[in-house]
Amino acid sequence: MIRYTVIRLIQGVITVWFIATATFFAMHAVPGDPLMNDKAISEEIRRNLEAQYGLDKPLPVQYVIYIGNMLKGDFGISFAQENRSVNDIIREHFPVSAILGILAITFAGLGGILFGALTARYRNKMPDIVIMFLVILGISVPSFVFAALGQFALVNLNAFFGTSILPVAGWGTLSHMIAPSLVLGLGTMAFLTRLMRSSMLEIVSSDYVRTARSKGLPTTRIFLRHELRNAILPVVTVLGPSIAAITTGGFVVELVFAIPGLGRYFVQAVQQLDYTVIMGTTVFYGAFLVFMVIVVDLLYGLIDPRVRLE
Amino acid sequence: MNAVTDRFAPVLLDVQDLEVEFDTYGGTVHAVRGVSFEVHAGKTLAIVGESGCGKSVTVQSIMGLIPSPPGRIVGGTAKLRGKEIIDGVTTDGEIVRGSQIGMIFQDPMTSLNPTMTIGDQIAETLQVHRGFSHSQALRLAVELLEMTRINEPSRRARQYPFEFSGGMLQRSMIAMAIACGPSILIADEPTTALDVTIQSQILDLLRDLQRENNMAIILITHDLGVVARMADEVAVMYAGEFLETGTADDIFYSSAHPYTVGLRAAMPTNRDESEQDLMPIDGSPPDLFAPPPGCAYFARCPHAMEACRNDPPPGFAVGSGHMTRCWLHHADCSRRIDDLHYAAAAPLEGRDA
Repeated sequence: MIRYTVIRLIQGVITVWFIATATFFAMHAVPGDPLMNDKAISEEIRRNLEAQYGLDKPLPVQYVIYIGNMLKGDFGISFAQENRSVNDIIREHFPVSAILGILAITFAGLGGILFGALTARYRNKMPDIVIMFLVILGISVPSFVFAALGQFALVNLNAFFGTSILPVAGWGTLSHMIAPSLVLGLGTMAFLTRLMRSSMLEIVSSDYVRTARSKGLPTTRIFLRHELRNAILPVVTVLGPSIAAITTGGFVVELVFAIPGLGRYFVQAVQQLDYTVIMGTTVFYGAFLVFMVIVVDLLYGLIDPRVRLE
Repeated sequence: MNAVTDRFAPVLLDVQDLEVEFDTYGGTVHAVRGVSFEVHAGKTLAIVGESGCGKSVTVQSIMGLIPSPPGRIVGGTAKLRGKEIIDGVTTDGEIVRGSQIGMIFQDPMTSLNPTMTIGDQIAETLQVHRGFSHSQALRLAVELLEMTRINEPSRRARQYPFEFSGGMLQRSMIAMAIACGPSILIADEPTTALDVTIQSQILDLLRDLQRENNMAIILITHDLGVVARMADEVAVMYAGEFLETGTADDIFYSSAHPYTVGLRAAMPTNRDESEQDLMPIDGSPPDLFAPPPGCAYFARCPHAMEACRNDPPPGFAVGSGHMTRCWLHHADCSRRIDDLHYAAAAPLEGRDA
């Protein structure tokens, strides 16, 4: 188990290095540079600035310097936002994104398992048909549409009751978090519902569920001990990639709901070619996702004894 | 084994005219078409027949295990000690399945929950039916594993099915099925998925447990060797019907139905001199979407007569407790059953004299 974990972590580090390298060169391949956004500046000032930020050096040298700094945990200073280090930006805004993401994935996971089990239980009956229709909607409609529709619905709802039931945008209290995390988790939840449904249908007709029934166990016990636990396995498998989907989906939802998360800075940075911020957030997100996938894989062993490793 | 004492053993389970159908897109499948039998305490009833003849459906419908829909029990009764039990529950709501009737299945590899320890799976039955605490039930589960001859039972009880071999899984299944001391054990092809040496061990185990607990066994199989070794009474099933029922000796040594005779002749032997080819029964079973109006075996029967085409044969008693559905046994039929014994009836391997 420990050996496996160490190997996975080493693989993870290599993955992150790969992400960093690819992003670095892709970013520099985009025409223009961070200094272009400013008002017209003289050649001399420009040269000074380039020298200050090390942009005058050849690209491979810049790369080596950057990786060196990164290893020291220093992501540099933002070009667009004066005197703000990328580390500060991440430290300040990542927790917001993380809370949003955790809420969304919790909502997606629980909802997916619940609705999946429900649709399998009532296969081809009314609850199944209704939920599966909504699932197709949830999978095919992008989150920014749901975000806008959700806000629109909230505005009308608040107006109808004449008081603020749920805030339409912003961040701070728990009530601020509900709407965006629902919107963010919706697509993943729909996907997980489908997965759970098919997995559940397969298990309901499996030999060991028949055995459980032949033992005369009550239906609830069969459901919880024999069906649910086994049906959840494929859902847990895709939780890792789902975290990636939710995090990237978070960029848009954060913008629409005016949430001061990291995603907003990421999008802004790409638009402004803010090299250090692009690199910092990409590498950070990459490392975070790689880590989460490892955590999910280790978690899987807890649920399925067959993949527990020595 | 004495045929007379069999009949004095108390009747535990009495099934009468059981009929089961399945609704499919292609139409209604008449899987079980009026089956009656009795199970006596401490005795083994073997139900033999080829694949798809309705053996498993018969016992599963008694246990209430057939998926419904599409399956439904159209008619008949099943009484355990006089109480109706169709669907695995007695008329007064007592749960019979798992407590008074245990069941083991064909493929032990897939019949156990992969994410639950063997011990927990056995203990579960005791917790539900006997109201034991988890630790109490687990202790008993270890004893049950020991009873089914699994080495190091307390360590094994903490393991998962994937850590067991096929034979050990079937032993665990048996431990699970007999946990509550059932009076009947239904064994649905218990050794089909196992190799021969393990098969033999499992059959020995079943017989020993039967003797120790005076437990009746309903053994479903298509292996006549297993029947010869285990059965007190035998029912030969074909296309959803019992064509012949009787003691094992009746079935093997005075087969009264052409199908039984055909099955006997098709059995391979391991005598040196018999370099003869296997003798299959020509043709295939009838379509159960539209069962034939007369005898189900008509199309394949070497002795078929005009009467067999459209008139279903009733049960003819051909001896004490020996019944067959074949027009050859009608008083007006000029041909005699002795003509049926065309194949040299070899002594059966594995059958006690």
